[in-house]
Amino acid sequence: MLTITSPASITNLEKLLTQVSDWLGSNGLTRRQTAKIELSLEEALVNVCRYAYHGGQGDVEVRCRITDGRDCLIEIIDSGIPFDACAHPAPELTACIADRKVGGLGVYLMRNMADQMTYRRENEKNILNLAFRTVPDRNDGAAASPQRP
Amino acid sequence: MQMTVTNTEKAVIISAGGRMDAVTAPQFDKRLETLIAEGATRIIIDFRDLEYISSAGLQTILANAKKLESLNGEILLAHLSGAVKEVFEISGFDTIFPIFDDEDAALASL
Repeated sequence: MLTITSPASITNLEKLLTQVSDWLGSNGLTRRQTAKIELSLEEALVNVCRYAYHGGQGDVEVRCRITDGRDCLIEIIDSGIPFDACAHPAPELTACIADRKVGGLGVYLMRNMADQMTYRRENEKNILNLAFRTVPDRNDGAAASPQRP
Repeated sequence: MQMTVTNTEKAVIISAGGRMDAVTAPQFDKRLETLIAEGATRIIIDFRDLEYISSAGLQTILANAKKLESLNGEILLAHLSGAVKEVFEISGFDTIFPIFDDEDAALASL
């Protein structure tokens, strides 16, 4: 398990992502799997850095673990204002350039990259869980189903 | 991230390499802003050497495409592949930007 606590600031983003990517790589995840997780994590962290503390200071904690079923579970925890990414509306994806809104894509990408995304508010903290399957399901859908939290 | 700008008769080609994320996208944004301020209206973004893009990169491209549209210009994309292409597809950006195999094909369309 990897746990990192860092001030929630864009200046720490690269360091955080590199630490997590290196850890994922050392746990046998492929580059493609790592890239997918990294993208989701970046989007989650950018939201915390930009909005959780209203421009003030605060920490973000990232916890990563690989289950026996080879699911990769990422938990992002902050003490900022409540924000349920799961309830965030999807952006309009078919609008032309002029009508398309700049923004709102981060949560959408995060949700699409992860196999499961859950949120809870606990002890004044936002806890966002992202789960990624790292082994494909078998066609028969039987024994290979990864464990779920 | 790395950026290389090539001026051609029909368009400016900007090659992006490395990572276009929340940290580096503002640099790319500034470069595009400068090109537009200098009079570029048709910009081809070459993604051949880009390994990673997040929503920050997409937003930068969209914001500058909006500016160019108001100037009767446009952004064209070339060499989209792998993880970068996947992000464009998921976000629906592959349907709002003209995409070409390479910069020659993009130039030929102008």
